[in-house]
Amino acid sequence: MMMAKRFLSIFLAASLLFTGSMQAVQAAMIGTDQVAESTISAKGAQDRAKIVEILSRDEVQSELVKRGIDPAEAKSRVAALTDDEANNLASQLDKAPAGGGIIGAIVLVFFVLLLTDILGFTKIFPFTRSVR
Amino acid sequence: MSAIKASLRHLSLLAFLCLLSACAATGVREATHNTQLPRHAELTDTPFFPQAQYQCGPAALATALGAANIQVTPAQLTPEVYVPSRQGSLQIEMLAAARRHGAVAVKIPPQLDAVMQEVAAGNVVVVMQNLGFSWVPSWHYAVVVGYDLDKELLWLRSGTYERFEMSLSAFQRTWARSEHWAFVALAPGRLPVSVGADDVAKALVAYEKNTSVTARKTAYQAAVNQWPDHPVLLMGLGNAAYADNDLPLAAATFQHMTDVHPASAAAYNNLANVLLAQKHITQAETVAEKGLALAGDNQQLKSQLAQTLAEIRQSQK
Repeated sequence: MMMAKRFLSIFLAASLLFTGSMQAVQAAMIGTDQVAESTISAKGAQDRAKIVEILSRDEVQSELVKRGIDPAEAKSRVAALTDDEANNLASQLDKAPAGGGIIGAIVLVFFVLLLTDILGFTKIFPFTRSVR
Repeated sequence: MSAIKASLRHLSLLAFLCLLSACAATGVREATHNTQLPRHAELTDTPFFPQAQYQCGPAALATALGAANIQVTPAQLTPEVYVPSRQGSLQIEMLAAARRHGAVAVKIPPQLDAVMQEVAAGNVVVVMQNLGFSWVPSWHYAVVVGYDLDKELLWLRSGTYERFEMSLSAFQRTWARSEHWAFVALAPGRLPVSVGADDVAKALVAYEKNTSVTARKTAYQAAVNQWPDHPVLLMGLGNAAYADNDLPLAAATFQHMTDVHPASAAAYNNLANVLLAQKHITQAETVAEKGLALAGDNQQLKSQLAQTLAEIRQSQK
């Protein structure tokens, strides 16, 4: 445990130092994202995103933790997102489709889905071959 | 009167039969009649990871990354994309996780042709399908690895099936329910063939956040070779070259950007910084002054150029 803590603190200190030096080098350079915002995204969308963003990074992280994700992992998951993505993810966590794979369909709908599978509207059952 | 009734009955019968015989889904004809596409393509070398329960996201992602020569297992990806409370993985995080492993993740246009174009060009496509209906959803990620336009078939690495066969119509219907969501994950330096410059630029801007300077430079360089005058791509290449301390390339790139986008204050700002790093102080000052004049009413650009100019003048002392 002590080892782990020590390792973590060294790691954090190192990463702080690292980000500090990065910013110093890039001080007067204009980032690619700034140009991308003004040339590709619509102006309105970009202002709106900025306002929400201040709240959302930490928020998204704690929302992820609430949904059963390890806090350290949640942090790096949020860090991997762009500003837009972070904003969207916060609002989509419970609504957006989550691909999980083939679910066990209820017995009642089993036959309906079997039929629609055969007709080629769905593909629940791997053993069906659609008529088309 | 009875004639009308009879014809109505015929008509409804016809409609019913049409439903029963499952007329080809929309978009299938466009693809099968597309003369630009090879009639058949299959990427048989694509790796296969049979999915554990609810883990089609990590499995599909590992498959696509493996195809891009990035070795990673579904078990490694699970903590990066899986949301336990949802028993599944979200689309946004699928893209982000691909980038975390060094792949350029680009969403492709929502058309069947686009999927096939990518496969024909050697890029497997991660797709999201709803294998059920909107009222009994069964969201699923799979990887398209091949198709045959004459047989109207498509093959996927899907779930526990290494070569899952679907008719184009059935695939199109299940895919349409995710609003035709699909992406390619490519090694830096490779480009999707179905995506325009703006969307590639967007994907690269997201990519550069979590990646090494070398990978970033390689990725932008390939895109600039394809679209030599795109402002965002030029900016990206110039910045990547600067971060990699490749000052000649950075200077040439920003110089070219000021030529093709003479109104871009950002291009002048960064060119001035590169010139400063190269110790061409007088030149740097002229360029920065020009940039400041171009910044106009944009407060952010104005202050950035003012800072650049201050740094240049500082170095003269």
